[in-house]
Amino acid sequence: MIKFITKRILIAIPTLLIIIAFGFSMMRVAPGGPFTNERALPPEIERNINEAYNLDKPVYEQFYIYIKNLSKGDFGPSFKYKDFTVKELIISGLPVSVTLGLSAIIISLFVGSILGVIAAINRNTFFDYSVMGVSLVGICVPSFVMAPLLSLFFSLYLGILPTSGWNNGNLLNLILPVTALSLPQIAVISRMMRASTIEILNSNFVRTAKSKGLNQSYIIRKHVIRASILPIIEYLAPASAGLMTGSIIIEQIFGLPGIGRYFVVGALQRDYTLVSGVLILYASLLIFLILITDIIRAVLDPRVKI
Amino acid sequence: MNKNNIKIVESYANIKGRSLWIDARRRLFQNKAALISLFLLFFISFLSFFGPFFLQYNFSDTDWNSIYYPPSLDNGHFLGTDSNGRDLLVRILYGGRLSLSIGIIATLVSVFIGVIYGTVAGYFGGKIDIFMMRIVEILYAMPYLIFVIILMVVFGRNIYFLFLAIGAVEWLTMARIVRGQTISLKEKEFVETSKALGQSNFMIILKHIIPNLAGPIIVYITLMVPSVIILESFLSFLGLGVQEPLTSWGVLISEGSREMETAWWLLIFPGLFMTITLASLNFIGDGLRDAIDPKEY
Repeated sequence: MIKFITKRILIAIPTLLIIIAFGFSMMRVAPGGPFTNERALPPEIERNINEAYNLDKPVYEQFYIYIKNLSKGDFGPSFKYKDFTVKELIISGLPVSVTLGLSAIIISLFVGSILGVIAAINRNTFFDYSVMGVSLVGICVPSFVMAPLLSLFFSLYLGILPTSGWNNGNLLNLILPVTALSLPQIAVISRMMRASTIEILNSNFVRTAKSKGLNQSYIIRKHVIRASILPIIEYLAPASAGLMTGSIIIEQIFGLPGIGRYFVVGALQRDYTLVSGVLILYASLLIFLILITDIIRAVLDPRVKI
Repeated sequence: MNKNNIKIVESYANIKGRSLWIDARRRLFQNKAALISLFLLFFISFLSFFGPFFLQYNFSDTDWNSIYYPPSLDNGHFLGTDSNGRDLLVRILYGGRLSLSIGIIATLVSVFIGVIYGTVAGYFGGKIDIFMMRIVEILYAMPYLIFVIILMVVFGRNIYFLFLAIGAVEWLTMARIVRGQTISLKEKEFVETSKALGQSNFMIILKHIIPNLAGPIIVYITLMVPSVIILESFLSFLGLGVQEPLTSWGVLISEGSREMETAWWLLIFPGLFMTITLASLNFIGDGLRDAIDPKEY
C-alpha cells in the first residue's frame, strides 16, 4: 500500500514541476510582457526594474526563485491589478469558488448516483426513461446555454431568484449557479451509475444474496451500491476538472467574484502572473484529486493491483 | 465429379458476402435515433454551408430599420435581428459553418496525432511505450481547457491557432484507445506473417494496424466532434476564440445571453441549433458504437 502511494506521489511531482515550468516559461516567452507597453525608460530605471523582478539573473536561477516563492505561497505581483499580489487575488476569490465547486460536486454526486440507482432498479419504466431523457438534455445542452436559460426563466420570467451577484454567499444567489454547474455532471454520473448498477445487479454475488432471502433494500444498500459506486469514484477527478473549467464560465455568467473570473480577466488582459498562478493552483488541485481517487480506489477495490 | 455438387458450388459463387461494414451499416440504419440524427446533422450542415446563398441578407449587413426585430415572416428576418440589425438566421448559419469546420478540422488534427502516437507506443512497446504513456499521463493531469486558454493568450487569438490548440489537447484519449487496440493487434497472425515476409515496421503500422483500428477511430471521431464544438464555443463565449466580424455559435450564444432580457431569440435560436447538432452527434456516435462493436452492450 505504502509502495503504491509513494509510486503515485513520485508520478505526481514531475507532473507538477512540468506544469510550473510551463507557467514560468509562458511568463518569459509570451509577447506583450508587463513593461513592453510603457514608453522608453532611462537605462538606470530599466536596470532597477530588472533587478527588482530578478530579470537580470540567468533563467535557471529565476526558475529556482520562482519555485522557492511558490512553496511559500507567493505567486508574485499581478501585472494588471496594480497594488495586488496574485496571492491576494486568489485568496479573495477562493471562498466563492470553493463554495460553488464543493456544493456542485456534493450535489452532483448525491443526486447523480441516487437517480442512477433508482433508474437501474426500475429499468425500462417511466422513471428510468425520464431520468435518462433529462440526463441526455444535461449532456447535450452546454452549461453556457443552460445557465442563461435558467436565469432567463427563474429570474426574469418568474422573478423568484436573483439573476446574478454573490451577495455574501446568500443561498438564493447560489441556487442558479450551482444548478447550472452541476447539471452536466449529474447527467454523466447518473448514466454511469445506472450502467454500473445494472451490471452489478446481474452479477453472481447479488444472485447469491437474493437466494439467501435478503430483502431488496438491504441487497441494494450493502451489496449493489458498494460495488457500483466504483466507476463514479474513478470519475471524481475528471468531474472535478469539469467543474473547475465549468466554474470559469458560470462565475462569468452569474457575475460571481471567484477565481475563474480573475482567470478570464487575466487571460483577456495578458496578466501572465495571475494566469499562471491560477493554472498552477488548479493543476495542483487536480493532481492531488487524482492521487486521492487512486488511493480510494485501491482501498475500496481489492482487484486494483497495488 | 457429381454434377449436382458443381451446381451447388457455382451457386455459392453468387452469394454476396456480408462484410463487417455492410453489417454495421444495416445495424446503424435500424437504430431510429441514429438515423434521425444523421438526417438532422446533414440538414444543419447543408443549411450552414449552402443556406446563406439563398437568403437576402449578408452576415454583416446592418438593417437600421429593424434593430431587435423579433422573428417574423414579413421582411425576411425569419429569426429576428440583433442589436445592429443583422439578420440572425444568416449569422447562425455562418456561425454553424465555423463551428462545424472547427469541430471537424480540430478533430482530424487530434486524430492524426493520437493515432500516430498510440500506434507507435503500442506497437513498439517496452520502454518506448512506458515513456510515451507517462507523457500522456502527465498531460492528462493538466486542466486542459485552462491550457487551451493559455495557449490562446500567449499566441494571440488567431482562428488557425484555435484549430491547432484544440487539436493539440484532444489527442490524449485517442492515443490511449489506439494504443490499447494496437497492443492486441500486433500479436495477431497477419502481423506476424508480414514480419516474417520482411515488411518494415512503418509499412506494417500503415497497412495492417491502422486499417484495423478504423472502427474505434470512427466511433471516437463522432464523439469528439461535439466536445470540440463545445470547447470552441466555450472559448468564444469568454471572448478568447473567434473574433468579430466572424461569428460562431459560441459568439452568438454569448451575445444572446447578454441581451436576453430585450431579445430572447438571440439566445434561444443559436442555443437550439447548437443543442440539436450536439445531440445528433452524440446519438450517431452511440449508434455507430453499437453498430461496429455490437458485443460491447
